[in-house]
Amino acid sequence: MGSILVHIDLDGPRPDPSSLAALAVARALASSWGATLYAALIIHEPGERSAPDSTAQVMTGARIPGIDRLEDELSRAGADKIVVAVTDTPVLPLWGAIGGAWQTVLDHLRPRLVLFGADAPSAIELGPRTGARIGGRVFMRARATGGDLVQLRDREGAFLRVGDSGAAVVLVGGRAPARPARDEDIDVVVLVAPSGADPRLELASSAPAEPAHALGAVVALGEDAAADPAVVADAARLAELVGGPVLRSTGGRADKHAASSAQLFIGIGETKVEPSGSSSVIRIGGGPARYVDGALAEPIAPALAELLRALEARS
Amino acid sequence: MTVAIWLGSAVPVRTIRWLDGALAAAAKLGPTKPTAIVAGDLGWLELAADRALRAKVACIGIATELSLDYLGWAQIVIAAAKTVEATTILVDEASRPERFAEVAAIAELLDAAQLTNVVSIAREGEVVRATRSAGGELQTFHVRGEAVIGLRIAGPKIEEYPTPMPSAAMKRLDLAALGLDANVLAHRAVAPHAPREPQRTTDRVADLISVHVSARAPRTGAA
Repeated sequence: MGSILVHIDLDGPRPDPSSLAALAVARALASSWGATLYAALIIHEPGERSAPDSTAQVMTGARIPGIDRLEDELSRAGADKIVVAVTDTPVLPLWGAIGGAWQTVLDHLRPRLVLFGADAPSAIELGPRTGARIGGRVFMRARATGGDLVQLRDREGAFLRVGDSGAAVVLVGGRAPARPARDEDIDVVVLVAPSGADPRLELASSAPAEPAHALGAVVALGEDAAADPAVVADAARLAELVGGPVLRSTGGRADKHAASSAQLFIGIGETKVEPSGSSSVIRIGGGPARYVDGALAEPIAPALAELLRALEARS
Repeated sequence: MTVAIWLGSAVPVRTIRWLDGALAAAAKLGPTKPTAIVAGDLGWLELAADRALRAKVACIGIATELSLDYLGWAQIVIAAAKTVEATTILVDEASRPERFAEVAAIAELLDAAQLTNVVSIAREGEVVRATRSAGGELQTFHVRGEAVIGLRIAGPKIEEYPTPMPSAAMKRLDLAALGLDANVLAHRAVAPHAPREPQRTTDRVADLISVHVSARAPRTGAA
C-alpha cells in the first residue's frame, strides 16, 4: 500500500473539525492497510518567493509561524507526516484559488488514496477535481466499516477495500470517532508552491446566504409539525446535529415554489419545500412519501425523539 | 462566448425542474443560441430535447447504452462541446447526485476554470457573472475565458409534463462521429446504481443521516 493523504482545511488557526474526522478515518485505514498517513494543508504567506512557471521548492528545516500548534494537533489526531504547501495566493476554498498549491502536494506525494472531510469548506471544489487529476474513483460521504480490516462504504453503498486497484478520492462524512490521542514527533515538509490563482476567476463580492441556499443539510418543518413545541425543540436539536438551518413553512406563496438542493433534506410533517435537488431525502410523518431515501411514519413526536436518540447514540 | 450545457446521462432522480432551471439560465446567457448536450437511452434523450426546445436551446443527443463514471462522461461532453466550439460549459448538477463530480472532470480535462454550486448566472459582455453558495455565503465571481460551471438553479414547480415526442430538432450523434471509441470508453464503465427501497426503521434512517452529522455538533455524552 502506498500513501494516504488527507487534505486539512483550516478554521482560523486550527484544523477544521470535518478534516479531523477524515484524518481519524484515514488513521484507521493506514493502520489497517499498512500505509503512511500524510496530512497536508495550504497556508498563505504574502510575499513568499515563487514564480508562475516554477515547480515546487522543498524547504527543509523551514518554520512557518503557528505551525507548532498545528503539528501537535495533527500528530495527536494520527498523522504520520505533515506537508505544508505555502502559497502567495490568498486561500479560498476554491480550485481556482488553491488548486495550483494542492497540485504541488499531489505531485510531491503521488498518493493512492486522498481523503477530505465532506463538510470541510474545500471538499466540494477540491475533492472531485483531485479525483479527475489522479484518475481515481470518487466516494461521497463514506465512513469506515469493518473490524481489523477497515474498509470504506459510501452513501450509495459502494465499497473501497485494501485490495482494490487504482486511486480513489473519498469525502468522509460524519464526525471523528473518539480515539486515544498519540504523542509523537513527526516530520514536517514545507513546499513552496508556484504562484497562481486562476486569472479567469475574480471574486467580485460576497454576502450572507439565505437559509434556503444551504447546500449541506436542512431540516424543514411543516405547519402541522410546528404546532407541537416538543417537535419544534427536537427539530432544532436535529438541525444542530446535522449542522443546517430549520426552514419553517409559513404557508405563503413563496413556500409553494421553494426547492432545496441541500445534500440532506429532512422534512418533518407537511413541508412545502420541495427537496427535488437533494441527494438524500428523509421524511418524518407528512403522509405518503415518494422518491425518498428514508421515511418514518406518524406520530411525528415519538418518531423524531427516537431518531434523535439513535443518532446521538451513534455519535 | 459560446455556451453548451451538459444535461447528463440519465433522467433526473426526482423532478425536471432543475433541468428546466438550468436550461433557462443557459438560454439567457447568449449571445448565440446555446446547445444542450445529453447522452443515454432514447427516452431520456427525447425528454431532454423536448425541454431544451421549450427553453429555446439547441440539442445534441448521443444515444449510448454505456454506463460510465464521471471521467467517462466528461470525455463525451468535451467531444460534443468541441463540435459547437463551446467556451463555457454549464452543468445541471442538481438533478442527479453523481453529476457534480462531472463538473470537475470536464474542467480538468479541458484545463478550464471551475465553479460549482452556482445559484444564479448572468452575462455582462464577455464576462459571466456567477453567484455560488459556499458555506454561509453567496460569493459572486466574474468568469472570463474557458470555464465549466455547475448550476443549482430550480425552474418553476411542475406537477406533470407532456409526454415528449421524438424531436426532429435534436441533432443525433454517435460516439464514432465524435471521434470516440466505445471500447476505450468502456474502461470507465461502472455498474448502474440499482434503485433502492426507502428505509423505514429508526435504525436504518439514523444510519442514512449519520454520515451527515456535523463534525462541529456538540457531543451529548450518550453511550
